Amino acid sequence: MAERINSNDKTKTRKPAKKRVFGKLKTRTSAWVVIAVTIGLAIVIGKVGGVAQVVNAVVSGGMWALLAVGLALILGVMNIPNFSHGESFMVGAYVAYFVFSPLYKYNLVSGSKFLFIVGPFIGFIAAALAGFILGIIIERLIFSPLRKRTRERWVMNAFLLTVGISFILTNGTNLVIGPNFRGIPRYWDVAPFSFLGVRLTVDRIVAFTIAVVSIAVLWFFLRRTKTGRAIRAVSQDESGADMVGINIQFIHTLTFGLGTSMASVAGACLLFMFQAYPTVGLKPLYFAWYVVMLVGLGNVSGAIVGGFIVAFLQAGTQQFIGVAWEEVVPTIVMMLVLIVAPSGIFGSEVKGIQEQ
Amino acid sequence: MKITELAGRKRKMTGITNILQRVGFSPSGFILLVVLAVLPFIPPFSSEFILRWLIFGAFLAAQAVAFDLTAGYINVVNFGFAAILGLGAYTSAILANTSPYLIVQTGLTPWIGMFIGAIVAGFVGFILGFLTLRLRGLYAAIMAWFVGIAILGLARNLIKLTRGSLGLSPPSLLETSSNRPYFYIILTMMVAIYIICKIVTRSHYGLAFRALGQNIDAARASGINPTKYRVFNFTLSCFCAGLLGGFYAHYFVSLTPQAVMHTSKTVEVLAIAFIGGRGFLWGGILTAFPFVFFIEYLRSALPGLPGLHLVIYGVLMVLVMIYYPKGLAGFVVWAREKIKIYKEEKNGGF
Repeated sequence: MAERINSNDKTKTRKPAKKRVFGKLKTRTSAWVVIAVTIGLAIVIGKVGGVAQVVNAVVSGGMWALLAVGLALILGVMNIPNFSHGESFMVGAYVAYFVFSPLYKYNLVSGSKFLFIVGPFIGFIAAALAGFILGIIIERLIFSPLRKRTRERWVMNAFLLTVGISFILTNGTNLVIGPNFRGIPRYWDVAPFSFLGVRLTVDRIVAFTIAVVSIAVLWFFLRRTKTGRAIRAVSQDESGADMVGINIQFIHTLTFGLGTSMASVAGACLLFMFQAYPTVGLKPLYFAWYVVMLVGLGNVSGAIVGGFIVAFLQAGTQQFIGVAWEEVVPTIVMMLVLIVAPSGIFGSEVKGIQEQ
Repeated sequence: MKITELAGRKRKMTGITNILQRVGFSPSGFILLVVLAVLPFIPPFSSEFILRWLIFGAFLAAQAVAFDLTAGYINVVNFGFAAILGLGAYTSAILANTSPYLIVQTGLTPWIGMFIGAIVAGFVGFILGFLTLRLRGLYAAIMAWFVGIAILGLARNLIKLTRGSLGLSPPSLLETSSNRPYFYIILTMMVAIYIICKIVTRSHYGLAFRALGQNIDAARASGINPTKYRVFNFTLSCFCAGLLGGFYAHYFVSLTPQAVMHTSKTVEVLAIAFIGGRGFLWGGILTAFPFVFFIEYLRSALPGLPGLHLVIYGVLMVLVMIYYPKGLAGFVVWAREKIKIYKEEKNGGF
């Protein structure tokens, strides 16, 4: 904060920082350092643990990126630090399970080749839709009334509300569906591919592809369509966007739905890794927040890079320090980041966080 | 005195009311406290079974007070509150350990261990606050959460020190099977924490806290050093949490990482503090006792629905936050003002 005041003195006519959701990355020294360290780490992991480790890290990096992008989008456009993101993941996992397993059972009887390939995708689409609807319900039921009541201390209040939502959803699921683990061994019963001497299951490849495609579609949507442009306008200046006739309420609902939907897709894609149970969302939520805090709050493009950085840091921790320290290392990394570059390695672009 | 003048509600205080006011009790509040203190001797409450509920209520209430000091005044939510509490509990329990299977076998008496635990918790709070409270509130909340998960991970993984997920079984505080002495210990701790917090918030520190909580830039412009006051506040809150952790360890005599430090424990305290009302301190106390009774009743009436009380917590919290942010304490204050105005009108005052 002190730096900011000093820089104000030097340049009296400071242009307001342009906020870009999904803009070009501003690369700073800290970013380069972290990226260099990550690439170094990737090479070392490849040397010591074999290529399989690197490939696995890339696959999980795609998933963390997908989760973090949704989180960053909601934070960037609506200034809501979403703590219930993990619960969207949970909902996605459950929906995929309940859609996919009857299909799978039916398939065992009928033996249809087409359904065998398409079945999981039906699960993913159902999960995406469920996440979208969940997002719309939450936004309309909770944030819309709050926005109408007061914008005072918005960031903190919104954060606490999402904490409450997360609590309700977790315990509600526990109450209705029960605490049992519901998982599947794999989506597609085919032999794993062999690539660079690494055995890769089809599930992982598809999960990674879906992550990449989802992010690409989101990019296209935000950069090239009229609605996407409106979303970016709202993220830059809400009252300005209101003045030029953008329906703020619609944009907010849409953004929240998109964000939760991305988390649900991630939950559905990773059902073979994370079984569905009420508190399954905690770990994905933790990693999504780790990414978002690392790259800077609300920085969507940064979140994509950050997902992979975090995945490699995680792989490095498992390789060299031990799985037991998986929860401690992120905290230490975050402490260092907060000391060196408090607004994240790519810089924070959320005005609301700084204002309140 | 300064603060009462500034708040513009200077009152003529005499005798016992004056003393009570200075330590933060209104007459009615004090009466409620006395009722609470004699409750263990009144039949339905004197059974050991219900005494445990009362103890748990007081424990939650004390936590809510310590939590509200940061959440309600400087508007920073300590999301690692349960973990900090667990840190205090674990420190005390480890120091009291005599089992030869663990590294530390000091066998220190819990009475000293509790305070050492509190100091350790306060120190961690200080470091955490020092790193994060230079920044905006959200960073502190998320970082506290991260630190909480790290402490949970450590407690689970340093098996030589904590027995991991199996948990510790520290010695109990008193050599008695009765719950009544424990109730008075936790009640004393609750009142002490409340009085300390109240005295702090009544001094010029409290004014600074409120200013920082409302608008940090305006507060900074009027010469308040945000880091100093916020770190002080955070440290005090963490210290209280550590002390309560010590009580938890030596009362429940079983300590597992998941049961003490999990994020959902923080959320429970948060829900009680927020339903009680932010920035009043006593709101949490007012909410915690009825809540514990309600929940225990619900649990025994509907055993087939585990976790229903948690859903009710969540729903109530969300409703209060959207539609009545002042909470229960705010409602009590509002009602008191209304009654006062009504009485004055009746007496023909105006």
